[in-house]
Amino acid sequence: MHIGEERVGGALVIAPEGRVDSVSSTELERLVVSRIDAGEKRLVLDLSSVEYISSAGLRVLLMAAKRLKGPPAALVLCGMGPSVRTVLELAGFLPLFAVEAGREQALARVRG
Amino acid sequence: MATLHLRLEPRDGEPFRHEVRADAVVIGRSSKADVVLADRFLSRLHARLFRKDDTWFVEDLGSRNTTFLNDRPLGQPTVVRPGDVIRLAESRLIVEDPDRPAPSGDGLVGGPDERLPGSTVLRSATLFLSPEREAATQGEAVQLAGRLRVLNEVHRALAAPITLEALLDLILDRAFAHLGPEEGAIFLRGPDGSLHRAASRQAPGEKGEPLFSRRLVQEVVDKGMAALVTDASLDERFAASESIVVSGVRSLVAAPLLDSEGCLGMIALGAKQRPRPFGEDDMELLVAFASAAALRLRNLALTEETARRRLLDRELELAHDIQMGMLPRAFPERPEIDVAAALQPARSVGGDLYDVVAEGERVWLLVGDVSGKGVGAALFMAVTKTLFRALAPAAESVAAAMGRVNRELARDNERAMFVTAFAARLDVATGELEYVNAGHSPTYRVDAGGGVAPLGGPVNPALGAVEGHEYQAGVTPLRPGDLLLLYTDGVVEARNASGEEFHALRLESYLAGCGGAGADAVVRGLLGRVEDFAGDTPQYDDVTALALRWRGRGA
Repeated sequence: MHIGEERVGGALVIAPEGRVDSVSSTELERLVVSRIDAGEKRLVLDLSSVEYISSAGLRVLLMAAKRLKGPPAALVLCGMGPSVRTVLELAGFLPLFAVEAGREQALARVRG
Repeated sequence: MATLHLRLEPRDGEPFRHEVRADAVVIGRSSKADVVLADRFLSRLHARLFRKDDTWFVEDLGSRNTTFLNDRPLGQPTVVRPGDVIRLAESRLIVEDPDRPAPSGDGLVGGPDERLPGSTVLRSATLFLSPEREAATQGEAVQLAGRLRVLNEVHRALAAPITLEALLDLILDRAFAHLGPEEGAIFLRGPDGSLHRAASRQAPGEKGEPLFSRRLVQEVVDKGMAALVTDASLDERFAASESIVVSGVRSLVAAPLLDSEGCLGMIALGAKQRPRPFGEDDMELLVAFASAAALRLRNLALTEETARRRLLDRELELAHDIQMGMLPRAFPERPEIDVAAALQPARSVGGDLYDVVAEGERVWLLVGDVSGKGVGAALFMAVTKTLFRALAPAAESVAAAMGRVNRELARDNERAMFVTAFAARLDVATGELEYVNAGHSPTYRVDAGGGVAPLGGPVNPALGAVEGHEYQAGVTPLRPGDLLLLYTDGVVEARNASGEEFHALRLESYLAGCGGAGADAVVRGLLGRVEDFAGDTPQYDDVTALALRWRGRGA
């Protein structure tokens, strides 16, 4: 799985691509954990290139949210397509995350 | 410092080590220098190292390009210490501490983009190994026969060892016996593709670890080339009858450890004092030799891989046993209800679970799906199931029961594992159903007339996700004959060969035809449908279904 990474001001944008399933999610988990361990305080997860996310992938999002507990929101999700949104919704997780439509809004919120 | 220990990295030659025992040493391109470096930009007599009392100095001998000590141009004789880097033209001398050899680490020096010495011969190793190769002349035939004898001997010798260490040792042993180098090393590829030196050996009297240039190793390992390097100035020097005290005079042969599966690494041999430098016949012999070694190394790796896989298989079996051992196979028998459940585990072992518990006039139902797969998921599943059994029947409501199970699961849950679950409690006397959906697929209700509809109601976060969450329940009265179907997403997300999902639509149409079928038949029928649909496509997720029909009061 390819995972994009970009620093914008004081925030880090992580953008996984493709399928986030039980195999590839370990890669995403390792990256997110290492960045948070290294002291990252403001994280944007851009999911616009994610085609599918399994429960193992949701676990990584949840773990990141737990480790970066707001408010103000230290973790913001953005770029969610309808299928990813449905998975989050069905697991009852949507209310647990700060969600924005695009990367710009997410960055504005995570900085706020 | 009594003697001076140098690691020399000439521009146009292979790196080597040298210990200066005399009081002074002149370094240059000319054969009149004490140490000759293959670097065409070097002056004939470029620099001098000398000892005064117990201290070593370096001075430039008026060279064209001057001499640098740690990147500073030398003005006057300057003291050198271990760790210092002396640069002459495009070659480097590194002063080493004999008690603490420089961390050359993998025995590789230089960057991957450095050029190879001009005298390097590279040949495709696979070409040598081609079976169509035939001897053209009698001389070649004799050579070929001799080589085959050597190979036969090597094959037989390598058959015995069962550990990697012993095998590598024996490979070097045979290489030294047949090719007579002064030093040799075997480099192996790690799981991440990077090379490390797995074994090395030196003839008696040689000091320091053998060094090889990264660029050469890359050529051999990545491109499968056999390499032969000889110092181009060697013949001239022999002709001039100069005594070859020390120099980059050295010839080297290297061959990839190649088999039909790819390249495992390489073996390299170096010679300084060998009566004659290595030639193409040595290179050919080493290529054949290396292929025999590669075969044995591959077999050894496969044996280890098999042992590891067997261990992993046992672990998966264990996970499977944990999972299946937790699931009830017998269900409460009461006249008001007909209940059955089954779980078809995936090969990779997921974390599905179900439970049915009767307590007085009430029957508790649970179907869940743990995030992730493997032993971790199986254990989390076992914990969830145990908590449900212990806490649910005593709770005043389904919402309260889920709240308690959640509290236990969310506590110290660093890895943020969670389990989506659908839990319900049926009053068998009244048909009142209270249920909580914790991030799970909705349960279906099938009425006596074949109408199929999901139970609505609030959706809560999955269990374990949010500490202290207050769970919201739904309540609905069942009518006599109503059938409930609880399931996990392994049912609707099962895929066939063309990647199509079983989907909720197929599930609904199946349920519509379930009419008055018994709960066990409903469950078995559904699992059979899913299996038929998937065909030969491997089952990726556990598939679980639980069916309950309420026959009604006084049934």
